[in-house]
Amino acid sequence: MRPVLPLILLAAGCTGSIDGPATLSSAQAEEVAHSGLRRLSRVELDATVRDLLGDDKARARRLLPPDSTDPFDNDYRQQTASGALVEAAEALGVELADVTLVDPQARARLIPCQPTGAADAACLRAFVETFGRRAFRRPLVQEEVDRFMTLQPLAVEAGDFDFGVKLVIRAMIQHPAFLYRVELGEPVSVGLFRLTPFELATRLSYFLIGTTPQDWLLDQAAAGGLDSKDGVQLAAKRLLADPLAREQIERFHALWLGYHRLPHPLALTQAMQQESDALVDRVVFTEGSDYFTLFTSSDTFVNQTLATQYGLAGFTGGAGFQWTNYGAAPRKGLLSHGSVLSQGVKFSDSSPTQRGIFVRNRLLCQEVPRPPPGVNVDAAPTSSSPCKKARYSTHASVGGCKQCHDNLDPIGFGLERFDREGRYRTTDDGLPQCPIEGKGTVVGAPAGDLAFSGPDGLADALIASGAFERCVVTQVFRFAQGRREDALDVPALLQRTETFKTGQRNFQALLLDVVSDETFGFRREEEVR
Amino acid sequence: MGTRLSRRHLLKGLGGVGLSLPLLEIMLDGKAFAQAAPTAPKRYLVFFDGQSIGADGDPLANDFVPNTVGRNYDLKSAIAPLGALKSEVSVISGLKIPWAAENGGVIPAGGRPDNFHVTSLSPLLSGVRAPSGTASAGATSDQLVAKAIAGSTAFPSLTYRVQAEWYLSVAAPYGRDMISYKIDSSGRVAAIPPQTSPRQAWQALFSNFVPSGLDAAAQKRLELELRSRRSVLDLVRGDTERLVPKLGAADKQRLQRHLDELRDLERRVATIAPPQTSACMRPSDPGADPSVGTPQGNNGTDNTYAQNLGYSGEEARANLFVDLIHLAMVCDLTRVASLQLTMFQSHLNMYALTGQATDCHELGHGGVPGGTMALSKGIAWHVKHFARLVQKFKDTPEGNGNMLDSSALVFLMEGGHGWDPEGVKGNSSHSTENMACLLAGRAGGLQPGQHVVAAGKHPANVLVTAMKAVGVTGDTLGEVSGDVPQLRVA
Repeated sequence: MRPVLPLILLAAGCTGSIDGPATLSSAQAEEVAHSGLRRLSRVELDATVRDLLGDDKARARRLLPPDSTDPFDNDYRQQTASGALVEAAEALGVELADVTLVDPQARARLIPCQPTGAADAACLRAFVETFGRRAFRRPLVQEEVDRFMTLQPLAVEAGDFDFGVKLVIRAMIQHPAFLYRVELGEPVSVGLFRLTPFELATRLSYFLIGTTPQDWLLDQAAAGGLDSKDGVQLAAKRLLADPLAREQIERFHALWLGYHRLPHPLALTQAMQQESDALVDRVVFTEGSDYFTLFTSSDTFVNQTLATQYGLAGFTGGAGFQWTNYGAAPRKGLLSHGSVLSQGVKFSDSSPTQRGIFVRNRLLCQEVPRPPPGVNVDAAPTSSSPCKKARYSTHASVGGCKQCHDNLDPIGFGLERFDREGRYRTTDDGLPQCPIEGKGTVVGAPAGDLAFSGPDGLADALIASGAFERCVVTQVFRFAQGRREDALDVPALLQRTETFKTGQRNFQALLLDVVSDETFGFRREEEVR
Repeated sequence: MGTRLSRRHLLKGLGGVGLSLPLLEIMLDGKAFAQAAPTAPKRYLVFFDGQSIGADGDPLANDFVPNTVGRNYDLKSAIAPLGALKSEVSVISGLKIPWAAENGGVIPAGGRPDNFHVTSLSPLLSGVRAPSGTASAGATSDQLVAKAIAGSTAFPSLTYRVQAEWYLSVAAPYGRDMISYKIDSSGRVAAIPPQTSPRQAWQALFSNFVPSGLDAAAQKRLELELRSRRSVLDLVRGDTERLVPKLGAADKQRLQRHLDELRDLERRVATIAPPQTSACMRPSDPGADPSVGTPQGNNGTDNTYAQNLGYSGEEARANLFVDLIHLAMVCDLTRVASLQLTMFQSHLNMYALTGQATDCHELGHGGVPGGTMALSKGIAWHVKHFARLVQKFKDTPEGNGNMLDSSALVFLMEGGHGWDPEGVKGNSSHSTENMACLLAGRAGGLQPGQHVVAAGKHPANVLVTAMKAVGVTGDTLGEVSGDVPQLRVA
């Protein structure tokens, strides 16, 4: 549990005033992105509850319906309210209210006064105001506080001050101002709004550390600290220095590259995730090096299980994890990790087609069309030879299939020497008569067709493709904005890609670039879809 | 349908009986349940199994459809769990959902595109032709029935799913994980994400019930808790109402959806629980849900299918949901339910359920020989749970008979066996030819216990029959008209 900071209520915060110098040029105004009402994902809810109430039991993940992951779990256009959702939110509130006040220290941190008895309205009001500001990520207006105070007679009836506190917690946890990131802002022109400093603080916090704004950030918002670009940058840098930022950026990569869940026994899954998290951490935070080091690193963080699995002679033994050089193993970077090589499995084996789709979708940000009518995608390709290469060659011989599969299968075949758990192999599983050549091509990259071999070669090919930086920037946009990009977003994405390239591809700089964009503190209202 | 008796009305009717009422029921200002309804309410239920009835390339087209037609049909392995209950369950075979290729490439009314997975969803459940690669294009039968017969029951319908997860690393695409769709307050077709937690379902259904044998102090505490709950919900709903008009059009729609759900919840909570009887009782707390499993995969050592992944205790979950649906209907908390046992193209691991080390979907592609027999083992698991519910209804006396007398319970499947217009070949599991379903209950003159060959009929024709049996007027579901008259007493 992280310590809950003492709360400082600044006078400016209570007025909710949004005086600030930030204005937009008309060109900038055109680039303000659409944004809509975002519900906290289950993971965000759990982090928020942990920070608000000190409860780390991940209750939202148990109670709420699962979030759609495509690949990120925060796409608000995929979110639908349901009976199951509102029931779960109520249950979450009840559970939290019941456990929160049990620990006297936690109780003392939450309630900013010593109640004189069940009827101490002033103390309950103080709780509503202080906790409400943190739960709703903005100060409450007087009428809102009054409405929560209508619960007070129930506490009097119960003869228990804490009963009132519990009811307030229950109400706030299922309240739309808590469950959703409500951005009203101030109208600038038709359909265009400037966020309040509190809404801006909320955007910053959920983007960079995946949780509710901490008290210092709310205080800065209240004090006008976020009214300038410099102020926003300063706050963002402080957030990036928080250990939670590492978790958040690890999570971004795990969702993006599909390894937040893996189809392996728990120990293996966790080892693979730990390996990838460690490299992300090292490149983005510890070293702050060229982001492409993530894909070219000759070191990896493995334990005995993974070292054996990968055939790494450099691992010196011991029970724990250690940084190990790949040595002679034909590997480098994240794409050589078991976590990524677990992607694209079908028919109980790595699927060259599925791996090709994975690389196109996730690493090149290209949409792959659905198979046309006349294709049974549930039947493995067959041929007179049992070898995979021959079987998949039927894709090229059947009209209609060829065009798409020529873009997909050659990518997957370049990775075929690595099985679905990241082991190296030279023949098809169980078929020693079927040697794997392991050569592939990325067809049609902006830089032309790129031949490669293995995940190390694929990393080089992606970097040489001319499309990789833009895809990285695009995925960060999707994660930050909680939706896929639309046509309006393209100029800003191109600009950001250029900045990323010229800035030696520093990933933290990219994150800072997102939040220090002049338009970050604005929103464009969505059309009804 | 079902005039609701007010609390006062009920008291008047019971005048002088000397029934002692718990304090909280008097103090609550909610609607009372109609316990004294002269006739049992009608009930409607849709079970769903995300499988086809026969496997690819197997000359044995299925082991589901009886050889004999009419009463006392023979039990094939896929429906063997019906056992003696076959006298309560009809098998309807020979059904078909039409597809585009047989209609000049244009999706026909009540039909589907030529590609298979999930495209049968819309015509099967709503009778409306499926747009390509999407979920239902119309309201599903359970929701239409709920609209007609729910009255003021606490839950207009229950929407549950047994398979806890999609079991691949991404979310289930194109609505494979949902079988209920309604028309929402904005007039759009909206999916109803199902409840997958038996524990939460239990809590939602029975949290209003007063445990028996409480002393006065405990009763007072409980009464305060119920009133507090209503006050909290009232506050949250009120604030949500205040927020909606402040939002832009798209956000307004999103939050309105949330508000609609909050209002439903508030209404349910305001409804007074029915008095408990020997049949309608608050069941004991089912405890924590079985933990949710990780995606299916291999076992990490010898590259074989892992027998413990891709499974979340679905056996226990199915049992619990069946128990809850039965009790909710006994207590008239609801009259309509949908239970999705498995998803379309289900990746549920079948090992713990049938001893087969593969996922549910692969059972249909197991090849020959033995593909259809293996698939049937998987179907039989689904039928077992359907049979369990039918048995419970049969074992619950009501009026001069039992609950089946007022019910129509349907068991549907994703596909049939035959021509696959996508693969352009016959003998395929990717087919909506030769579909079959089950129908139990005697509501509205239904006559169960027979095998009816409804050649050329659409599965929606069976649903129309069931819907009419529970009191829905009209003769259509979506774009499909007509019923299957043989299923009723002549």
